[in-house]
Amino acid sequence: MTVEEQIREIMARITHVDGSIITRESTFKDIKADSLDVVQALVAVEETFGIEIPDEEAQKFQSFGDFVSYVENQVAQKERV
Amino acid sequence: MWGRQQSDSRALRSKNMAQHSRVRVAVDAMGGDYAPEEIVKGAVLAARKEDVEIFLVGSANILEKELARYRSTNGSLIRLVEASEVITENESPVVVIRNKSDCSVAVAAKMVKSGEADALVSAGSSAAAAMSAIQFIGMVDGVYRPAIVGSLGSFAPNTVMVDLGANVDCKPHQFLAFAIVGSVYAKKFLNIANPKIALLSTGSEESKGSGAVREAYHILEKSRLNFIGNIEGNEVLSGKANVIVCDGFVGNVLLKFYESIGSHARDWTEQKLKKYPPLRALVRLAFNRLFEATRISNETEKQGGGILWGVNGVVRIAHGASRAPQIANAIESAKQAVRAEVIESLKSELTQLNQGGTL
Repeated sequence: MTVEEQIREIMARITHVDGSIITRESTFKDIKADSLDVVQALVAVEETFGIEIPDEEAQKFQSFGDFVSYVENQVAQKERV
Repeated sequence: MWGRQQSDSRALRSKNMAQHSRVRVAVDAMGGDYAPEEIVKGAVLAARKEDVEIFLVGSANILEKELARYRSTNGSLIRLVEASEVITENESPVVVIRNKSDCSVAVAAKMVKSGEADALVSAGSSAAAAMSAIQFIGMVDGVYRPAIVGSLGSFAPNTVMVDLGANVDCKPHQFLAFAIVGSVYAKKFLNIANPKIALLSTGSEESKGSGAVREAYHILEKSRLNFIGNIEGNEVLSGKANVIVCDGFVGNVLLKFYESIGSHARDWTEQKLKKYPPLRALVRLAFNRLFEATRISNETEKQGGGILWGVNGVVRIAHGASRAPQIANAIESAKQAVRAEVIESLKSELTQLNQGGTL
C-alpha cells in the first residue's frame, strides 16, 4: 500500500466515510472531518509511519493532498536517514 | 462501521474483576472546580463502602498531603497514581491527545484501557474526558462518539432520549449508534424487551427534518432495530417511543426546557393566585412535586454528570462544580455500571444487530 492509500484508509476509518470519495483535492470539510477527527488522524498517521507532525505544520494542511504530501516527504526523509 | 482496534482488555478486565471483588475506579483527582480537595474527600467518602478500590490520579505530592487528612478513615482502599500534567479549563481539550498525554484524565483513561482500572471518573473538562476516552480507551466497535442517555422520568417513565448533549453536530450514522445505545439502556434499566425507537423531527413524514435527520431516517429504517419512524416534539412525553433519538444540540435544549417547566408553571400559577394565599400555598406544594417529576431521571442533574455511552470502558463524567458528595455518587454510579456490565451488553446488542450486515 502506498503512503496515500494508508492515510486514506486511516481517514476513512476515523471519519466513517467511504474512502473512495477522498481525493487529493478533498478538504477536511469535504470529508466531514471535525477537529477531533483530524487530531485522531494525525496521531494515527504518526504512529503508523513513526514520524512527528508538529501542530504548526498540521495547521497548514488545506486539503487531504497537503496532508499526504507532508507525510510522503517525512517518510522519504526518514528512509534516507 | 468504524471502531477503534479492540484489545484484550475485555478479557483482562473480566479476569481482574474475578480476582478483585472490589470495583477499581481511576479518579481524575486534578479535574474539577474544587480539585483536588473535594475530589480526594469524595474518594474517601466512596471508599467507606469497602467494595471499591480507588486510584487517585494526579500529582502524587499534592494528593499525598491531601489524603493525609483522612488517613484515619479507609485510606487503604485508596492508592495514588502519578500524573505529571494537568489540563486547565482554558486549554483546548485537543491538547490531551497531542501535547499532554500524561495529564491526570489521560493517565486514568489509560488505566482503564490496560485493565488496571474498571472505570474512570472525572469532574474536569467533559470534552477532555471524552477525548481521553476516545483516544486512550477507544470506542465500542460501531459507535463513533460517546453519547449521553437519560430517561424522561415521571411524565414518560418508559422513554429515554439520546443524545443529551455530547454531540452537538452529528453525522447521520451517529443517530444509529444513539438508537442502539438507547435501546441497550431501555432494556437494561427500564426492562423493556423490544424498545420502540423514534427519530425526533419536525414531522412524521420521512422527508421532514434537517439533512442529517432525513438521512438518519433511512439508516434507521434499514436497521434491524424496532424503528417506528419520526415523532414530533408534542409526542415526546406520549410514551409512543421508548427511545427518542436526536442530536446533542436538540437533546440538550429539550432537556433543559423540559426540566424548567415545573418551576415556571409553579411561579406563573402562584402569581395568578396572589390574592388567594391558602390556594397559593397548596399550589406551591403541588408544583414542587411536579418540579421533581420533570427532572430527567438519569444522574445528569440529580447527581451531576453521567456515563459516556459507547466508550469501550465505563467513563463517568461529573459536573465541574462537584463537591465531595457528588464525586462519591459518581464513583458509586461508575461502580454500578461496571457491575451491571453495560459495556458487554452494548457489545452484545451491536453483535446481534450486525448479524446479516444490516446494522
